Amino acid sequence: MSNIQFEEKSYNTDSLDLNLWKRILALLGNSKSHLIKLGLFMIMTAAIDVARPYLDKIAIDYFAVGNIKTNEVVLYAVVYIVVIVLNGVLVSGFTRQSAYIESGFLYDIRDRLFEKVQKLSYSYFDKTPTGWIMSRLSSDVGRLAEIFAWSLTDLVWGVAVMIASSVIMLKTNWRLALIVLAIVPILAIVSMWFQIRILRNYRSVRAINSKITNAFNEGITGAKTTKTLVLEDENLKEFKQLTAEYRHKSNQAAYFSSAFMPIVIGLSAISLAFILWYGGNQVLLEKMQFGTLLMFTEYASQFFEPLKSIAGIIAELQMAQASAERVLSLLEEEVEITDTAEVIKKYGTVFDPIKENYPRLKGDVEFEHVDFSYIKDEPILSDFNLKVKAGQSIALVGETGSGKSTIINLICRFYQPTSGRILIDGIDYKQRSLGWLHSNIGYVLQTPTLFTGTIRDNIRYGKFEATDEEIKKAAEMVGADSFINKLENGYDSEVGEQGSKLSTGEKQLISFARAIVANPALFILDEATSSVDTETEKKIQKAIDVILRERTSFIVAHRLSTIVNADKILVIDKGRIVESGKHDELMNKKGYYYRLYINQFNKDLQNKLLGDMEL
Amino acid sequence: MTVNDFIRKYLGKVAIKQLMVFLIVIIYTLGNLFSPLIFSFIIDNVIHKKEITSSIFIFIADKFGGIAYLQKNLWLPGLLLFAVNIVVGLCIFLRGKLNSEIAQNMTENMRNDLYNHIQLWPYSALSKSKTGDLIQRCTSDVETIRSFFSGQLAEIVYAVLITLIANIVLFSIDKRLALYSLIMIPIIFIISLYFFKRIQKYFVLYDDTESELTTITQENLANLRVVRAFNREKYEFEKFDKKNKELSKIDFEWINQLGIQWGIGGSLSMAQILVTILIGIFEVVNGKISIGQFSVFISYEGMIIYPVRSLARLLSNMGKMKVAIGRLLEIFNEKTEDLESGKVIDIKGNIVFDHVGFQYEDGNLPVLNDISFKITPGETLAIMGPTGSGKSTLVHLLTRLNDYTSGSIKVDGVELKDIQKKCLRRSIGIVLQEPFLFSKTIYDNIKISQKNADKEKVYRAAKIASVHDVITEFSAGYDTLVGEKGVTLSGGQKQRIAIARTIINECPILIFDDSLSAVDTQTDAAIRKAIKGLSKHCTTIIIAHRISSTQDADHIIVLENGQISQNGNHQELINEDGLYKRIYEIQTAMKEIDDNE
Repeated sequence: MSNIQFEEKSYNTDSLDLNLWKRILALLGNSKSHLIKLGLFMIMTAAIDVARPYLDKIAIDYFAVGNIKTNEVVLYAVVYIVVIVLNGVLVSGFTRQSAYIESGFLYDIRDRLFEKVQKLSYSYFDKTPTGWIMSRLSSDVGRLAEIFAWSLTDLVWGVAVMIASSVIMLKTNWRLALIVLAIVPILAIVSMWFQIRILRNYRSVRAINSKITNAFNEGITGAKTTKTLVLEDENLKEFKQLTAEYRHKSNQAAYFSSAFMPIVIGLSAISLAFILWYGGNQVLLEKMQFGTLLMFTEYASQFFEPLKSIAGIIAELQMAQASAERVLSLLEEEVEITDTAEVIKKYGTVFDPIKENYPRLKGDVEFEHVDFSYIKDEPILSDFNLKVKAGQSIALVGETGSGKSTIINLICRFYQPTSGRILIDGIDYKQRSLGWLHSNIGYVLQTPTLFTGTIRDNIRYGKFEATDEEIKKAAEMVGADSFINKLENGYDSEVGEQGSKLSTGEKQLISFARAIVANPALFILDEATSSVDTETEKKIQKAIDVILRERTSFIVAHRLSTIVNADKILVIDKGRIVESGKHDELMNKKGYYYRLYINQFNKDLQNKLLGDMEL
Repeated sequence: MTVNDFIRKYLGKVAIKQLMVFLIVIIYTLGNLFSPLIFSFIIDNVIHKKEITSSIFIFIADKFGGIAYLQKNLWLPGLLLFAVNIVVGLCIFLRGKLNSEIAQNMTENMRNDLYNHIQLWPYSALSKSKTGDLIQRCTSDVETIRSFFSGQLAEIVYAVLITLIANIVLFSIDKRLALYSLIMIPIIFIISLYFFKRIQKYFVLYDDTESELTTITQENLANLRVVRAFNREKYEFEKFDKKNKELSKIDFEWINQLGIQWGIGGSLSMAQILVTILIGIFEVVNGKISIGQFSVFISYEGMIIYPVRSLARLLSNMGKMKVAIGRLLEIFNEKTEDLESGKVIDIKGNIVFDHVGFQYEDGNLPVLNDISFKITPGETLAIMGPTGSGKSTLVHLLTRLNDYTSGSIKVDGVELKDIQKKCLRRSIGIVLQEPFLFSKTIYDNIKISQKNADKEKVYRAAKIASVHDVITEFSAGYDTLVGEKGVTLSGGQKQRIAIARTIINECPILIFDDSLSAVDTQTDAAIRKAIKGLSKHCTTIIIAHRISSTQDADHIIVLENGQISQNGNHQELINEDGLYKRIYEIQTAMKEIDDNE
């Protein structure tokens, strides 16, 4: 399975893919009404931004030249105060809408992605690294939310400000307005050109930065090797090359972005100078008032801000396209193993089960001419047949890659047979739901991992309705209660992330208790008894004997001592059963199993002398 | 070193550039403040034909040919305005350029020093340290310092300067109006500070909750089989949904608070301008100031308010920068190893341990006690013993990863502690138990300590280590990348590549610290035979659990609880009751069963 290479698709970021953004926009769902409100708020905010210079003009053109009447001044002040309050309300208001959109969109998409992950078939996770899924749920989603909440905000505001100030300028003095507007196309082109390159530069800087982080990581984790091979000087030399490259690239990026503002200022200064020249003459000729001139200079410099943000947004949209593609690809990933519509109608889905229709699972399991392969034309099982009666315990023994884990995967329906059938209680398990099967299975893994929370929470994971009494009983049955009682908070002790505060053996016992409390009809134990000390091993052995009583069970074990009491031992080699029978029968046969057993016995003996060491 | 020493050390190297930045900020500030004055001059003196009172303006006006001339040629002040803007633009560019150069220079030096300092930490310090924490310091703390010096420092200077100079100008025009123009400033500052702190709290909360959500996802993915087999998809989803909701709420609150701050801050700023306008109108009407001067007030007001609002954030970042430096100093204050001092000798490979003992500084019991043995060039010593008996520690002493605390170790008659560490480690080739390979190609990994080795030499080393055939089977051959982005190598493959990169140095002393454990018995034997053939004068120490690996050794030591419990050669030890004999018997039995197959 591990040889299936995961290939990351690369996505085009050079041109704007409007179709893609339409699909993403469709995901907004509940946030759409907020988006409309946000738009309205932004237009009003833009109106205020445009109105303010106009108010200043009145103060200078009208009042300051001597037309000072108390009631007019009061009116002016009132209007101004209204504008101030309105501004405050609008700014808080549109930010609130942005907050709704960002938090709502994030919440919604994360939920959808997580739900999707719960539904995806096991094979998906065999070919997709966990890290890839994690970054879809965090950084990609975050980037998209940011665009909706902020970039689009800026876009609406920018366009509104530009239109409104153009209108006012044209109405006040169209000649001066044209002077200001003449510079806009040039500014737009320059801004766009710069913004795209600035973003690209920073991306390449980030790439080197992550190389440096890696180098630190290697320097620290490989320190012992560095010391013994005396690589200090070489390492430093290589590291210095990286940091020098980083400095070089960062500086280049900085020169570029530092040049952007001055160029824009220079361009606006040209129109400013023209305004002053032409407008000043108009004022001298008394065709225009001075306040108007001042207003125009303010509009001229205000024009540039929206242009810059519009250019920035377009650049950002291009860069975020890869994130959008990746999020959509996960959401639209096809689920390989699903129940048929008929089955769903009767038994419901995993998220919405119809439990009252679940039949009781007795525990007969049968493989009927089962073929299976992970990769096409590389069969793991071919024409595999097996009949297990309810209540039997079956042990699967064999080397890595022999197919024993595959058998378990098939029983759990993590995978389905390529051809042939698996019958449970005499009926093809595809005719009943995944939820039904899984609610009847108890499962213990080779490397037990737990969930953050208390020991009680973790045991209760097997059966939510379980009383504290039941939980305690389950722990007692597997012999976990003695160590739990020694902990300060007993059953309420926190186990840490993935159970990090407990030893492997302890985690093992908890996962047994978790399985037992569920009282499943089918029990599966996947190489559960490796890597624990002798005492814990004895406890686990006892626990297993308890569990196996009266239920169908499958054990994949490396420690052969665990399975001495199994009803049937199947020795699997290259997808076939080469030997089968009880422990004593197989030992008398002096075949494959016998050799495995004796060898392991000796290894155990040696491990006791030399410590837990691989040979 | 203190925080100030730290700043002096790294900023000192770019002090001239930093001074230039300050100078540029001054020019920039003056340039910004100058534009409104030009307008004021034009309104009052050119348009309204007021008499010029300021001697500077008289001087400037004369230079341009007098007021009358300027009135006819309004393009001249326009040109001046353009020129001022160009200067301001130039200042922005230079400030950005220099700030980046300063910050990048500091970052580069800091990172290089950190990297070198950490790799020179003694082994004992390294093995105690937490990798994640160290990396965190080397990346995000350095980043905090970088961002402060890449612009925030200049911003603080600008904020202070513009407030100061603008007020000097304003006060010189009209004291009363200037006072009214300042009325809201302290309130604006305090409110910004209040909100900044509040929002920071949400920020921390957001971070914590986000990492909790990440944990839920991670655990879900790690426990995928358990989740599926227990039919807990719905429960997991509900658990995720609950935390997701919580995060979403904090996210909302955080942005919402930001919005309130912007709303209040913006409105207060506008209110301040309104106050100035209202008072200003009367001052103009009463003839205390001119219209031009009035416009200066309004323009300056707009310039001061934003820096004041951001000052709260900047000052808090200065605090963060100091904390970050403190955390880096903790790294720098750890002592480093001295690799250079000591005797440089041509090591032949005579090793004598004489009643050697070792105990950790903070340990109660000695890890090794009274260890004595001798090996001469060409001889092989094998060490066997249970896990934790001190085998690895023993060979660590020889390479001085740890220093022996009693007794004496002599190499070619010279006390180990007198030999230069570099020379010593170059003469001892040690293959570690869990070899670490660098994320380079296999080829570069093998020649990592022999930069000048040619292809022939690399291939030969790989062949001796029985790994050449394995490597050539990879599709990229020797150019295969190791590590995350390359192939996943098995334990045995890693061990053999580690052996190849060690033997390429042709050291007089070779140590295998249980480093053949993951290869099969035949390969193990082939490798040992090939190495013997390489050099007959090599002193070899092998730590192993396989009798087949130890039986040909000239001396065998059995270590138990830090002491030598048995020593002799293979023949002697299998005839003597003890650990060695029991292991021998077990392994012989195992071999027989395998042979019967």
